[in-house]
Amino acid sequence: MINRCKTYYYIWSKTAGFELQQAFLHRGTALLFMVGKIFRLFMMLLLLWLIQTKVTSFGGYNPQEIIVFYLTYNLVDLLAQIIYRGVYEFGPKVRDGTFDFYLAKPISPLFQSLATKNDPIDTLLFIPNLLLSIIIISQLHLHITVWSSLLFLALILNSFLIATAIHTIVLAVGILTTEVDNTIWLYRDINKLAQFPVTIYLEPMKLALFFIVPVGLMITIPAQILLNRQPTYPLLLVTAFTAVFLLLSGKIWQWSLRQYSSASS
Amino acid sequence: MFKYWKLFQTYWSAGLVYRANLLMWRFRQLLLTLMALTIWQVLFANQSQLFGYAQSQMISYVFLTSIIQSVVLATSLHGLAYEVYSGYLSLQLLKPQKIFVSLASVELADKAKNLLFSLIEGLISLIIIKPAITLPSVDILFIFLISVILAALINFYICILFGTIGFWSPEVWAPKFLFFMIVDFTAGRLFPLDILPTVVRQTLTFTPFPALIFIPTQIFLNKYHGQELLLNLAIQGVWVILLWFVSTRIWHRGIKGYEATGS
Repeated sequence: MINRCKTYYYIWSKTAGFELQQAFLHRGTALLFMVGKIFRLFMMLLLLWLIQTKVTSFGGYNPQEIIVFYLTYNLVDLLAQIIYRGVYEFGPKVRDGTFDFYLAKPISPLFQSLATKNDPIDTLLFIPNLLLSIIIISQLHLHITVWSSLLFLALILNSFLIATAIHTIVLAVGILTTEVDNTIWLYRDINKLAQFPVTIYLEPMKLALFFIVPVGLMITIPAQILLNRQPTYPLLLVTAFTAVFLLLSGKIWQWSLRQYSSASS
Repeated sequence: MFKYWKLFQTYWSAGLVYRANLLMWRFRQLLLTLMALTIWQVLFANQSQLFGYAQSQMISYVFLTSIIQSVVLATSLHGLAYEVYSGYLSLQLLKPQKIFVSLASVELADKAKNLLFSLIEGLISLIIIKPAITLPSVDILFIFLISVILAALINFYICILFGTIGFWSPEVWAPKFLFFMIVDFTAGRLFPLDILPTVVRQTLTFTPFPALIFIPTQIFLNKYHGQELLLNLAIQGVWVILLWFVSTRIWHRGIKGYEATGS
């Protein structure tokens, strides 16, 4: 098992290294992407700062707490982007038959499809992003304890598992329909709804954001825990749901593989 | 004109071929509109005025931006640079049609399709959220329509400019990504620009971005009067002329050196 993990880590680190080299090859392109992403982050923070100067309450939270929700969204989104960028290029691989070669290799086709393409720009921005988030949160007047921080980190790991399940389902849809673009961008847009606590949305949208595309469990719940707020749903339910969701995504992936007919090759 | 009308019809039909894709794309737009509406409604929960806007004005602003962006920012010209550097442009150049008019026909078909769907989505959002909306007088509505057309022209020429990058480099996606990021926050798509600090707002007046969405929405909300109204329309007009001049010059320079390398 350990050897297997080492093999997968080796493959992941190699492909991540190649992506990074490619980014340095097109330095101008990489720089423009980086500037764009930094600009987006700063403008969002500026908007949230402007809101907190004018508003005293936002859906039951104080405006400083809303900044934590946004930073949590940013962290979870960035993590998924770094690891699971391969999903965005999966559609053409099914259409042109490249996916056949994934099936022939002694490495999990799910791993190859999900994680063998990384976003080097997001990788480079991850540490500065994390440091900036910590600095911003430390400057806010919030009730954050060591225990809530540790629980937050555990829940971020849980969010990563949910993100894995969602990306797996998107790949399965890709195998069945040869199309992933709309599905993955739909997920990204739904994820954007969680830039703010999803408890502000009306029912049944709120329920859907917790239990159909569970971005509420991925972002709202960890942020609530970090802020020492009562989570909308108990943590036991959150972890149980994650386990079931992950298992279900694996089953859907296996089922989609059985439907794959390799039409293009 | 008949051949351009046919081109319009063809692209209108082509845009409706992949219905699932279209529905998903429009559903995404609806989600983002609902998000913006919810956020502003929550922000206005404890106050009647915010950043100089009444709740009905801000909700009208969100509705307007969702419709205006489908006319102004939605474009079929994303692939123009690819057509240029891959050599597909040769096909267009061989046809007995003016390239800019044919691009405009395709663009119009795309905008008409997006406008139709955004109006339907606006209606759905109205039914769900039931907001109070500020409506202008007929003459302001007419000026607003002129402003939207000018904004669409500005974006059209900006897209042509991005297309010309293809004459010299295949690396187009990164500058476009940066452009999208800048437009998101500086055109007034996510929030009205007058909530920004004065120094940022004043800097933006030297760029064409506020002319894309912010100026038309301010006209609709009756925020400009007399000379200010004329000045803002003039700003849009100047940007149209400037971008038309620059984009056509660069396009013709690109065409002179064009070798259809990829074809």
